[in-house]
Amino acid sequence: MYRYDEFDAAFVRERTSQFSDQVHRRIAGDLTEDQFRPLRLMNGLYLQLHAYMLRIAVPYGTLSSKQVRMLAHIARTYDRGYGHFTTRQNIQFNWPKLRDVPEILADLASVEMHAIQTSGNCIRNITTDQFAGAADDEIIDPRPVAEILRQWSSLHPEFSYLPRKFKIAMTGSPNDRAAIRFHDIGLQAARNGAGETGWEVWVGGGLGRTPMIGKLINSFVRHEHLLSYLESIMRVYNRYGRRDNKYKARIKILVHEEGLETIKAQVEQEFAEVRGGRLTLPGEELDRIAAYFAEPAYERLTASVVDVPREKILNPAYGNWLEHNLNAHRQPGYVSVTISLKPVGGAPGDATDTQMEAIADLAERYSFDELRVTHEQNLVLPHVRIADLRAVYDGLVANNMADGNAGLISDIICCPGMDYCALATARSIPIAQELTRKFESEARQRDIGGLKIKISGCINACGHHHVGHIGILGVEKKGGELYQITVGGDATENASVGKILGPGFEAEEVPNAIERLVDAYIARRVSVDEPFIAAFRRLGEAPFKEALYGNA
Amino acid sequence: MAMPSLQLSEKKPDKLRALGVLALNGMFDEMDAIGVLRQAVEDILPGDIAIVSSFGADSSVLLHLVAQVDKALPVYFLETGKHFAQTLDYVETLRERLGLSNVITLRPNPKDVARFDPNGNLWETDPDSCCHIRKTEPLDPAVAQFGGWVTGRKRYQTVERGVLPHFELTSDDRIKVNPLAYFSDADVNAYKLKHNLPEHPLFDMGFKSIGCAPCTSAVAEGEDPRSGRWRGLNKKECGIHFDFNGAIAKPMTAANTNLFKDGAFVADPFRAWTEGDDPATVRYTHVPLAVFLANRAAFLANPHPQGLLVSPGDNVELIEGDVSRFSSIAINFPAFTDGRGYSSARLLVERFGFTGEVRAVGDVLADQIPLMRRCGITAFVVVNEPTKQALKDGALAEVGLFYQPVGITEVPVGTRPYLRRAV
Amino acid sequence: MEILAGNELLSGAAVYFSPSGEWVENLQAARTFAKEEVEARDTVIATSKRTHRIVGIEIETVTVNDGILVPDRMREKIRAEGPTAPYAHTDRQHLSEDGHVSI
Repeated sequence: MYRYDEFDAAFVRERTSQFSDQVHRRIAGDLTEDQFRPLRLMNGLYLQLHAYMLRIAVPYGTLSSKQVRMLAHIARTYDRGYGHFTTRQNIQFNWPKLRDVPEILADLASVEMHAIQTSGNCIRNITTDQFAGAADDEIIDPRPVAEILRQWSSLHPEFSYLPRKFKIAMTGSPNDRAAIRFHDIGLQAARNGAGETGWEVWVGGGLGRTPMIGKLINSFVRHEHLLSYLESIMRVYNRYGRRDNKYKARIKILVHEEGLETIKAQVEQEFAEVRGGRLTLPGEELDRIAAYFAEPAYERLTASVVDVPREKILNPAYGNWLEHNLNAHRQPGYVSVTISLKPVGGAPGDATDTQMEAIADLAERYSFDELRVTHEQNLVLPHVRIADLRAVYDGLVANNMADGNAGLISDIICCPGMDYCALATARSIPIAQELTRKFESEARQRDIGGLKIKISGCINACGHHHVGHIGILGVEKKGGELYQITVGGDATENASVGKILGPGFEAEEVPNAIERLVDAYIARRVSVDEPFIAAFRRLGEAPFKEALYGNA
Repeated sequence: MAMPSLQLSEKKPDKLRALGVLALNGMFDEMDAIGVLRQAVEDILPGDIAIVSSFGADSSVLLHLVAQVDKALPVYFLETGKHFAQTLDYVETLRERLGLSNVITLRPNPKDVARFDPNGNLWETDPDSCCHIRKTEPLDPAVAQFGGWVTGRKRYQTVERGVLPHFELTSDDRIKVNPLAYFSDADVNAYKLKHNLPEHPLFDMGFKSIGCAPCTSAVAEGEDPRSGRWRGLNKKECGIHFDFNGAIAKPMTAANTNLFKDGAFVADPFRAWTEGDDPATVRYTHVPLAVFLANRAAFLANPHPQGLLVSPGDNVELIEGDVSRFSSIAINFPAFTDGRGYSSARLLVERFGFTGEVRAVGDVLADQIPLMRRCGITAFVVVNEPTKQALKDGALAEVGLFYQPVGITEVPVGTRPYLRRAV
Repeated sequence: MEILAGNELLSGAAVYFSPSGEWVENLQAARTFAKEEVEARDTVIATSKRTHRIVGIEIETVTVNDGILVPDRMREKIRAEGPTAPYAHTDRQHLSEDGHVSI
């Protein structure tokens, strides 16, 4: 993992004291709310429906045990004993008091964490594949570059007041687990003809009220030019992105309205000016940062296979967990373990202070002190010896985090919705809770197979509903809530945006409507090996529309 | 005449003398400039009177009168070091043409200049003090030698001079003689025409009242001719003319102290472009980029210091080749949330090599200033009171460590020379 | 009928403008403004903003049922009573000190 040096530490310390000063000026009345709002937002502090909400950056989703313990401490001391992991690999607390925020930030700084740029119209936390550095399908470990991007984008003076927020996601693997095509900039590891590694750059993807799939703006940018190239995109966006309408201010609209070719020409022109300049990344520097992300001291183990069928017989719950919550590791004898934060009837992504402490202990003992947050609101122990799986599982069982449902229908992404969020137009957590109850049966979930349900409580789509195989969007209708259902979205390299098939549903109708979609799929799938999204692509929307609305 | 010069040259206040001066004012026809001058030079203050001339746009009329009365009359010229080259040429032209034999050049004390104006920009930060060290101080010892002075001031020149008489008694008990007090602009021009006097080279370019180069702008047709002096400032006199009641003209107070530059709030010589300004003659305005482009030739031919206003959406590339024309570029931040100005500033400073003042105008708040500075903005027009206070106190809350190389002054620290910067 | 809702600066807690001129936690204690009281309502908003203590002031419409104020928007009902999930009776945020904010 990256470790702060004196410079990083001093930087965060100064930023914390700067914000501390701003908080005091606000309380003293020297800053109006209009002046304070953008400042607090740039430090991750929102004002939500019931209270402030503090969003803490988890850079590229990587945490150490010590950091997780500090998050547990914050949950216990300043909040209500839990935190909420988000779809941007961050964590947020729902109940902090304004006066406590400087202290919370100081506590975070002591474990090399901060809330810088988790909101505001700036470059937000860089996100990446939760299995980075561990996955066996990786071309590049994206973390060193992600760390360099974190540094480059931190308090960038030119890009602190962009037309709108700006999100960069990257994946080192051809199998996109970071939804890079739905980010303002998506970086996908690539190899050129000479076998050198670099980056494909995708631009203009996004969700929200105008979902767009990112477009390939450059098929190969060398590591050394990546910062120059990104700065070129940022400058074009900062200068020409729309500012007249906040709903049209994201780069996706600029790319859409001007056309990829125009934007590409502008970026290339800018790149021609800055290329080879001060932002050139020397190989030694990349190597130096990469050294922080060197492989942990793996034991030399012979390749072994987890005998899932056997374990299923011995202990179905454990077997089920093994079947769904493991990811292949590049190191023989190791796997990555997904810790599900999706218990039946729970709020997706929530973890209590006790759970966080338990996870920290497990990471320390079994995963080289390392932990990841996924954009699907789960946690990952990236490097677990196969021999330790049972111990890890037992530790999770003891803390009610042993659901073997990763990637299944109950592994739902869900924003906080109108229960917490000031922007929401409908609740989303209750819908997720009802759906997990509806599909509580593990056998049934296994039969349904991989199916991603994603729920947003408003058009801003924090719950990624557009890219759910089944998406649910809560809207307000006549003072009540109404839920639109979309089908066919996909956040991976086979990116697609889900389609609305008809009118919305009342909250209580949603579980049955989803069940009808699932039943329609099961009735028509070629075999159990054909997942929902594949069946939808083969069958088209007609049978699903009929399932939802009947044969009218 | 009845009044002995000896008595008049005594430098003591005397009510009777004051009455005498008042009486003198009734003796001459309003337009009898030469009669007034001759009376002063030959009868009232023989050998005890001199003239200070700016060798400006209409100085030729008075000097022509002097040449008719006494070519050896001491003519003092304040060589402030800030004159237009054309003015210095014009001193020679008039001296030769009129046969003036006693033109004396006064220069500021080099020690004062070195001490108070080491960078030569005092005119910009504190025009009062600039006038003081370059005009008042050098002139004082000369003034002390004479009992009276001839000036070229005219009633019509400014509102304050509307009651200017031919003869005045100053507060330090000297006599000021204003032969041209009743001359109008038209009278001056007619006189110049009649006697075929050479024009100041800048006159035809719209300069009606010419002082030091930095503080002079052309004036529009029909505009108060002196309005081109200290344009934008609440300053009309430089302190060397004494007013009618004998008090020294009030020191100028900066009309606007919202400009924060080099660590202090200073007077702002610039004003905003207004509808009706003439691109050919305007000076010290921040011309909107579009206006500049539409009148580019006229602005480029205009000899005065010029500013440029860059607003969000403006393409600074369009003036890349012209940046050296501007002494100040104002980046407009109509709302602090509009960050386009940061890119504009960086392009101007880093890419186009603009070295003049880059100032932020508009919604300039304490928390954005550190970012603006890093992007090359060096001056700030601030109206927000808490921000002003924070700047005065040097109490901006900022992060002094940077991850990105931005701007032209940030120096590397630590081990990542390509990335990290500190103040 | 309208009421004024906002968040208190320090705690962030939802508060309502009451007839006594204070901002209080209890929605039922909110002062209602009739249609013709726009001026009074706007004065309260302006005055409250000047104190810097109440943030995000919103005008909410309510219906009075048997003397009970019922917000027209679901959002406002949730704001008044606290989140409905993941637990039905999650407590709302409370003002930290004296329970009300004077303007």
